[in-house]
Amino acid sequence: MRRALPGVERALFWTLVFAAFAAVAVALGARAADRIAVSYEQQRTNYAIVRVIAPEGQDAINAAQTALNTAPHVTSAAPMTAGRAAALLQQWGGSDVAAGDLPPLRLFEIELAPAEAQADVNGDIVAALAQGGVTAEVVGAPDTGSGGGLAGVVRQIALWGAAAFAALMAVIVWLAARGLAARRREMVTVMCDLGATQSETAGRIADEAAMTGLVAGLVGAILAGITALVVLMLAIPGAQLETLRDMILPIDLLPIAAAPIGVAIAAGAGARAAAASIHRQAARLG
Amino acid sequence: MVRTNPVDIDLYERGAVVRFAGVDAGYGAATVLAGIEFEARAGEVSLVTGPAAAGKTTFTHLLRLALEPRSGRAVMLGVDIARASARAKANLKKRIGYVAENPVFVEHWSAFDNIAMPLRLLGQKPRDYDHDVQELVDFVGLGDAADLTIEKLSNAERRRVAIARALAAKPTLILADDPTAGMSPADGRRVVRLLTEMRRVGAAIVITSQDESLADVGPILRWRMDRGHLSRIGYETAGDGEDYE
Repeated sequence: MRRALPGVERALFWTLVFAAFAAVAVALGARAADRIAVSYEQQRTNYAIVRVIAPEGQDAINAAQTALNTAPHVTSAAPMTAGRAAALLQQWGGSDVAAGDLPPLRLFEIELAPAEAQADVNGDIVAALAQGGVTAEVVGAPDTGSGGGLAGVVRQIALWGAAAFAALMAVIVWLAARGLAARRREMVTVMCDLGATQSETAGRIADEAAMTGLVAGLVGAILAGITALVVLMLAIPGAQLETLRDMILPIDLLPIAAAPIGVAIAAGAGARAAAASIHRQAARLG
Repeated sequence: MVRTNPVDIDLYERGAVVRFAGVDAGYGAATVLAGIEFEARAGEVSLVTGPAAAGKTTFTHLLRLALEPRSGRAVMLGVDIARASARAKANLKKRIGYVAENPVFVEHWSAFDNIAMPLRLLGQKPRDYDHDVQELVDFVGLGDAADLTIEKLSNAERRRVAIARALAAKPTLILADDPTAGMSPADGRRVVRLLTEMRRVGAAIVITSQDESLADVGPILRWRMDRGHLSRIGYETAGDGEDYE
């Protein structure tokens, strides 16, 4: 290439950069949505409320606190104060609730350690409370039928949405790369006249498009990665590069690594198909 | 894999680079060439003349394997074209040098790079072909223009580049379709002389032109194309002869 990115090549390059940037940005967004959904689901399932049924009085609350401190699966337990209850009711109901208006509460907020799927968490806690002389019930997070499980849907939408968007970008790259083959029409014609086979001709054009795609994909992916870092730093108060480095998992970087390869493959395939078509036209007159 | 016939190979070994027998060809529903009988031999220059639209360019397309014969038998370089695979035809094309009436180049490449293209297609590296290409540049008289991009060359220079490119891979068959079109008589004759020089290295040369006076350039076997019919006129030995034994 005598001049760096002249004419159509420059337009193609920036189209591919945009496609890579958009695909990586959406994929990183999907990863963020996935991780938020996982985190939300963990918080939701690791939280429960214990309601003390019997006996009544402060002694029962103290006994329940003692029992919960040693109960299996429980990582922390705290009696719900009137102020905390008023705040929650206000948050859920939308209207002001005065803590003084609330009756004496017999509730505990507990946080749970992740448990195996077959474990009877609620039963174990109720049993531990019973051993401490307290009759209680555990109110856990609602199941899917009660409006829970939204995180799973969000994760599926994020995954398939990002995949569909990446596929759309691949089609755009595929079509844009055909323009390169059209630009190389004279070269294809010459090569055909000089006895190059269709695969030789198409391969040469495809190699050029794939190399352009690789570089453009790399540029687009790096730009998207930088943009994602900036957005995270703006969105998370007090976030520093060090804290972000600890937050980011290797799998989060997968879209950045995959984009150059994906763009190179799509560009190469598009250019190859178009060059092969031009070669067929050039090879046969009759 | 090229499927060959021992008779075709024998024919080729005895110097018949091209032999057409009763060949018809055309485009779509139109038949342009009918009952073509033609032979081009190694070391021989064939000049096909005729009026415009007589079928000369179509005849060249047949010879450069861009057009399939509809009927008859076409044997080129020992291969029966009707039975040759696409790869076999591509390999045959690498042994054919073609100078088109309007040559197509990679315009943003230098003349030198365009001339070297057939050698690159044969897998040669620049260090292998640089000397040979420079010799070709000198042979066609391109001089310093070889370093210019094609888009900066004059019509005559482009024609010289086309000739040099056609000769680069030392072809067995050289085709030139109206190579003097748009050139001054002196330039035209110089171009034809360059082409006919290649008979000395054993190539068969086929030139099509409207210009009957080109027969004077040297010893040439003359053919005449008229309304798709080709007829052999015979050897023309009278000429300016300045470059010939």
